[in-house]
Amino acid sequence: MMKYIIELILSIGKVDRRWIFLVIGLAVLLPLFFPLGLPIRATNATQRVYDAVEELEPNSKVLVSFEYGPSTKPEIHPMAIAILRHLFTNGQKVYVTCLWPDGQFMAEDALTEIAEEEYGLTYGEDYVLLGFRPGNEAVVKGLVSNIRKLYTTDARGTLVDQIPMMANVNKVKDFDFIFSASAGYPGTIEWVQYAADPTGVPMSTGTTSIQVNDVMPYVQSGQVKGILAGMPGAAEYEALIGSPGIGTSGMDAQSIAHLVIVLFIVFGNITYFIETRRAKKY
Amino acid sequence: MVIGAWISVFLTLAILSYLYKDNPFYKVAEHVFVGISTGYWTSMFFWTQIQPNLFGRLWPATEYDASSLWYKFYNVFGVFSSVFPEGGIAKGHDMHLIYLVPFALGIMMLLSVSSKLSWMARWGIAYTVGMAAGLRAYGFLNSNVIGQIKGSAFQLVNSNLPYFALVGESIFNNFVILIGTITGLMYFYFSREHTGNFGRLTKVGIYFLMISFGASFGFAVMGRISLLIGRFVDLIHYSSSTYNHATLWILLIMVVLLGYSAFMDKSAPIEPPAK
Repeated sequence: MMKYIIELILSIGKVDRRWIFLVIGLAVLLPLFFPLGLPIRATNATQRVYDAVEELEPNSKVLVSFEYGPSTKPEIHPMAIAILRHLFTNGQKVYVTCLWPDGQFMAEDALTEIAEEEYGLTYGEDYVLLGFRPGNEAVVKGLVSNIRKLYTTDARGTLVDQIPMMANVNKVKDFDFIFSASAGYPGTIEWVQYAADPTGVPMSTGTTSIQVNDVMPYVQSGQVKGILAGMPGAAEYEALIGSPGIGTSGMDAQSIAHLVIVLFIVFGNITYFIETRRAKKY
Repeated sequence: MVIGAWISVFLTLAILSYLYKDNPFYKVAEHVFVGISTGYWTSMFFWTQIQPNLFGRLWPATEYDASSLWYKFYNVFGVFSSVFPEGGIAKGHDMHLIYLVPFALGIMMLLSVSSKLSWMARWGIAYTVGMAAGLRAYGFLNSNVIGQIKGSAFQLVNSNLPYFALVGESIFNNFVILIGTITGLMYFYFSREHTGNFGRLTKVGIYFLMISFGASFGFAVMGRISLLIGRFVDLIHYSSSTYNHATLWILLIMVVLLGYSAFMDKSAPIEPPAK
């Protein structure tokens, strides 16, 4: 019996990897059709982001930066939507910048959906889309010294001096909070290095999963107030603000796919050890 | 809207078809992606930076004077009216002729396409490298060195903290951070051979690094699965009757064509894509 199981495990180890792709695909696809409703609990890092936003006084000036594009939309867009919802519910003024060119389209999408359609807010009085400027960290540095040198017009071509909510907003220090929705370089790390640390303006972030390990030291040291880690981070934030969205709907698929991958890793290791022992034996 | 959905579905399935094997659908999607990305970025950079922030500072509308030599030169380019509109560029800038310097450096970088003049590109590259190095040195020193030292300089045994906690601060976690930081740094000290007691300590550092790499791998998997979920959600959305069942039709056509191709080419084994 044991011999049969070992042979079975070894034969699974030799299977064409396209079968593995298919199994992973099904593990992701099926929970999207048949949701399981697995519970979502906020981690400490997500809770810290929520608390930092909650602590802001109404009418605070919040700078939200969009640093992602269509390729990372499934991870970052849900958290950008959730953060905007939370900020607008609490009556904050939102200023949107983009360090990535695609970020401007993502920001337009999110603002149209949340600010215009859901909350019916006024452009230029409650929120403004300053848009994209190329230059990576030089843009962040420029925002720290003088916003008006970098942005003479907003994304819609209106002169910044004619936008009511831009009155008395000249540099990063004039903001009460920064949130970076980041998928890589330039992104969260540049905001920490060139804006939050030098000016002392508190900041939080939402990043792709792959970036979490790079950003976590800043969270641990208190330089960044919490982090929304990929799609699960977005789902946790949606749970905290009581507004389930795209993040939540993908969590069942995420959990099942992780379980399948863990099983594959375990099988792979068992196969490796059996083969190593056999090689030693003969 | 519907056409956009069909294109989106085709490109998604064409890229995913690489998991079966390299094929013409994948090649088409790959080339379309490279071409469109290049065009998109070029256009974006031109209209958000070069036109408003460079040309807008060289020929601003606020200082337009049709009789001046500078603006007469500008008017020569008036045939490209969308870039050089009549009456100067109104983007809220004053005139800054110092911007002729980055303009010249930018043109010099473009000369790298010429084998005779490519040496001029080095000036532009040298400026970019120097500026970026200076800018980054400050950021790293301030946030990564000083900020991280400050962050890890905490009171080791704090009576207000619990002895142990899985998440959040605790005395046990403080010791983990202390040992991890010191042994991790010791591992990267290469002026002494990693043997004896020093070697044993650096080995502890390696274990901390391995845990970090494991966490990175886990997060990477999580990210890729999230992206797959995103594509599947879109594919499911586009399979509805609103989009004329785009996903189902394109999937069917691709499977039939790839299957037919495999059937006709029986002699060649179907190799899975390279690892």
